[in-house]
Amino acid sequence: MIQIVASLIGRAVVVVAAAAFITFALLWNAPGDPALAIALARYDALVDADLVNQVREEAGMSDGFWAAFQAWIAPLMTGDFGNSSVNGRPVLADLLAALSYTFPLALFALTIGLVISLPLAVLATRYPGSLLDRFTVGLASIGVAIPAFWLGLLLILLFAVQLSWLPAMGARTPYHAILPALTLGLGVAASLTRIIRSGILEARGKQFLPAFRRRGVAETVVARDHIAPHAAVPVVTVIGLELAFLLEGLVAVEVIFARPGFGSFLVEAILARDYPQVQAAVIIAALIFVLINLGIDVFYRLLDPRMDVGLGGRDA
Amino acid sequence: MWALGGVMRSVVVLVLVLVALALFGPLMAPSDPTAIDIPNRLKPPGEGWLLGTDALGRDIFSRLLHGARWSLGLAFFVSALGLIIGTTLGLVAAVGGRLADWLVMRVTDTFLAFPELVAAVVIAGLLGASTESLIFALTVTGWMRYARVARGVGLSLRSQGYVVQAQLAGVSAFSIARWHYLPALMPSLMVVWTGMFARAILGISTLGFLGFGVQPPLPEWGTMLLDARVHMRSTPLQMIWPGMAVLVCVLAINLAGDALRDAIADEKQT
Repeated sequence: MIQIVASLIGRAVVVVAAAAFITFALLWNAPGDPALAIALARYDALVDADLVNQVREEAGMSDGFWAAFQAWIAPLMTGDFGNSSVNGRPVLADLLAALSYTFPLALFALTIGLVISLPLAVLATRYPGSLLDRFTVGLASIGVAIPAFWLGLLLILLFAVQLSWLPAMGARTPYHAILPALTLGLGVAASLTRIIRSGILEARGKQFLPAFRRRGVAETVVARDHIAPHAAVPVVTVIGLELAFLLEGLVAVEVIFARPGFGSFLVEAILARDYPQVQAAVIIAALIFVLINLGIDVFYRLLDPRMDVGLGGRDA
Repeated sequence: MWALGGVMRSVVVLVLVLVALALFGPLMAPSDPTAIDIPNRLKPPGEGWLLGTDALGRDIFSRLLHGARWSLGLAFFVSALGLIIGTTLGLVAAVGGRLADWLVMRVTDTFLAFPELVAAVVIAGLLGASTESLIFALTVTGWMRYARVARGVGLSLRSQGYVVQAQLAGVSAFSIARWHYLPALMPSLMVVWTGMFARAILGISTLGFLGFGVQPPLPEWGTMLLDARVHMRSTPLQMIWPGMAVLVCVLAINLAGDALRDAIADEKQT
């Protein structure tokens, strides 16, 4: 077990390092002069060649790719993500502030997803093929196919514009989180419903269940002790995928609800060509994501001891 | 495989309709999707304009039909590119020996470790918003699942009698990959492909909506939603159509993929 965890951690380190390198290479090769972009952002129209050269010198960009990469990666190792090239503030503090809006929203959305999908899947599988079951499957298929940003726009249209029940823009009060969380949560609910439903159906077909029943074990005990654990394995496997899906949705959803958070931070940084901010956002996101997947991998192995060979990860 | 249920048959019909729409939709459009007509801006659905006009007086119905070529056509192209790249890499991993396998799979894991669409936003955004950046971003982030499936099936076939005999007869690794692994892979790859096709449609519309994808005035569905959002209060219906189009396409392709997977599972059982 310790060996497996060690190799998983080793892999996580490689992934984050590769993400850092790829991001830097991408920024380096992006069209336009990064030094000019930084100078423009900082000093507006008062930019001349000297100033651009000065910025280039400061950022270590004058001595080629590897020198610039080193100038960037060395402070990063000590946790220093540098200052924003646009507003001059430390990047990490701003990014953490953005994440402090994103984490509660993501948790809220996951909770909504679970609260809807779990009972729905359990009810639907009680009578497979029934009207309720088919209705559930249909609804879930539609939910998976809806683009998150469009669902968000529809919810704004209905609850904020037409009915004026809920606020839509910004994050001033906790009520502002309801619509964005609902947008993301419904998407999560749709895909979780599909997975939990097929997990339960598969677990119910296991050959050892009739043996318990014939021995007189109560149906509720069979469901709790023998069906539920087996149904949980595929669910845990895809939680990583689910979180990726959530993060993807978050970017567009934060933008349409004008909410501060990781997604808005990333999109604004890209639009402003704020290189230190983009780099920090990518690395922190990779780090969080890899850590979550690491946790899932370990948990999965605890849940299903047969999985001691072959490293899983985000398999489809 | 074609002994399909009624649902599957209707899904196949729906997918064919979508393909026809992407190919022939623009020919059926009543007017030029980029023709600006300010006096007739934000018209409601009805006479003259089947679905109304947008903020620049362009016919929404025509834009939707032309948009099919952008949204569906690009998604098809991107997912096909991913299929070719991913399958090639997966087969290289399966036949190329230990080092190649290790290398390809570590690269695949690294690319899978980051949410694809977020990576695509970063790549497309940094390269500068254009259709080329969009294609590059979605292809770079969309080949990994094919590689995993191709390698997995390839490895499972390695000990099959006909593969071993081909190897003993001195058939090259390339020929084994091409003539023995690839045909056996096709059904699984097609299931992955339907999923990736649907994801590409969602990705293209999301990037378009964020302003990093297909650029105005081209009538891509996500870009249309970006325009429509501004006028949400006055003409809410304008926002419905492009989203509906994305939803119907993704749904049809997902259902086709589900049915295909079931059909393959049934065939294996019998």
